[in-house]
Amino acid sequence: MRLGFLVDLSRCMGCMACAVACKAENNVPLHSWRLRVKYIDQGEFPDVKRHFVPLRCNHCDNAPCERICPVSALHYLPNGIVNVDHERCIGCASCMMACPYNAIYIDPITNSADKCTYCAHRIEVGLMPACVVACPTHANIFGDLDDPESEISKYIKNHRDVMVRKPELNTHPKHFYVRGSTVALDPLASERPEGYTIFTEVKFLEHIGGH
Amino acid sequence: MIGAEVTFDVALPKIVWGWLVSTNMWAKSIATGTFLLGIYFIKKYPEQDNFFRKWLPILGLIFIGITLLVTVLDLHHIFRFWKIFFHPHFTSAVTLGAWVVSAFVIVLLISFWSWATGNKKLLDRVMIPGFILAFFSTIYTAGIMGEATAREVWVFPSEMISMLLSAMLAGSAAYLIIDALYGNILQEKVRRELGYILFGSAGLSAAMFIGELFFAKMHSEFSYEVVKVLAFGEVAPFFWIGIVFAFIIPMMLVGIANEYRRYRYAWIASIFALIGLWLIKHAWLIAPQTLPLS
Ligand code: SF4
Ligand code: SF4
Repeated sequence: MRLGFLVDLSRCMGCMACAVACKAENNVPLHSWRLRVKYIDQGEFPDVKRHFVPLRCNHCDNAPCERICPVSALHYLPNGIVNVDHERCIGCASCMMACPYNAIYIDPITNSADKCTYCAHRIEVGLMPACVVACPTHANIFGDLDDPESEISKYIKNHRDVMVRKPELNTHPKHFYVRGSTVALDPLASERPEGYTIFTEVKFLEHIGGH
Repeated sequence: MIGAEVTFDVALPKIVWGWLVSTNMWAKSIATGTFLLGIYFIKKYPEQDNFFRKWLPILGLIFIGITLLVTVLDLHHIFRFWKIFFHPHFTSAVTLGAWVVSAFVIVLLISFWSWATGNKKLLDRVMIPGFILAFFSTIYTAGIMGEATAREVWVFPSEMISMLLSAMLAGSAAYLIIDALYGNILQEKVRRELGYILFGSAGLSAAMFIGELFFAKMHSEFSYEVVKVLAFGEVAPFFWIGIVFAFIIPMMLVGIANEYRRYRYAWIASIFALIGLWLIKHAWLIAPQTLPLS
């Protein structure tokens, strides 16, 4: 079994239900995220387009975060999930430096690394990840990549435009996107001016952690 | 359609590894550089070995102590650092580094004991393993940076060569400073040789940095952007002051010192080299962190 995600970006309407469900399910503190939806506006009025991209850990088959963790706090589960052991983590932030997708954060309350686990605790008891359940448009498709009959496998088979983030890094993500664009998936394809936009303040935090 | 802009997102961490990590690399360069060079000079000039037998363990222990201190301080779980020894994950260069540096500390303690008791044989026995451990202590951080795949400018083995050169630069500078502080106790030929090592490692380091920055083929758009940040962006002041302090000024001053036998210039060169080395390390560490990854 190799669990994977696929987001049909044409279905995503940026409602954040998944992000909120994830926060509630996993007690994700303020200023941290396991799953978020990024908005990118492209073009100039009146010729504009808005992209919504749900971003979470890609559960890479060849995960640099797992490799660099000095104490195996990041480890693979037999179902392919890259899981975190909060008790094991020493908080060196190497995983944050190794993950090319900015998918890991140091939880300011537990001081341990944390990230999307595909809701491993829910999978264990036969439930779907919280974000999948919450999505009103069924944009999140989750399932077993090894099973040709699973919805995700069929989706991958039936779509020509299956994309992953940064394929050139050979991390082999198990998180796919269809009907997307480079602007949505490549962080350097869009500008990131700091400051208030119509919805929120887009900003960088100068330094994470307590020192 | 033109242009694309992020209009809604969460706040992202900019700097994950900050000045504590720069200090770690800087102090480690001094500790390992003084060891590697110390062994070389003990072997080459046995008549001058007292100086190096004394300062090799003292400088080594002080600066490896700083390295270990900032490393542990940088952990979000300071009191769990021992897990690296009891739950090691050997694919990680962090783990390998922790083990190698710990072994190096033992060698330094033996060296210190050897100097304190006047038992020269003790240091002689650990010279070869010490040399190997100092070498690997210097380069393991390059391994970590190579494993930190998110920051694509930190590439092995160029990081490794750069770190070895930093160790040579820092080691020679540290010895020149100590020599000047204690009233030029080294023989002139030793002092000159330290100057040449400082000059050579500064020149090669500068060539590597400039070469990588302006002439290397960029392997990704990310590295291309980092180069812009380093050379012209917000990190540029650190970077250029670092280049001038660590390489250009020391090369000029050591050149004058060795050419005209005015050795006080070598001492000033060494101070500049050590300050500049920290700035360069910091700039190189910070620059790739200023770009978004997601
Ligand atoms: S996306 Fe990042 S955190 Fe997730 S498995 Fe890949 S490297 Fe690790
Ligand atoms: S922060 Fe924790 S999970 Fe991340 S690499 Fe360090 S020990 Fe491993």
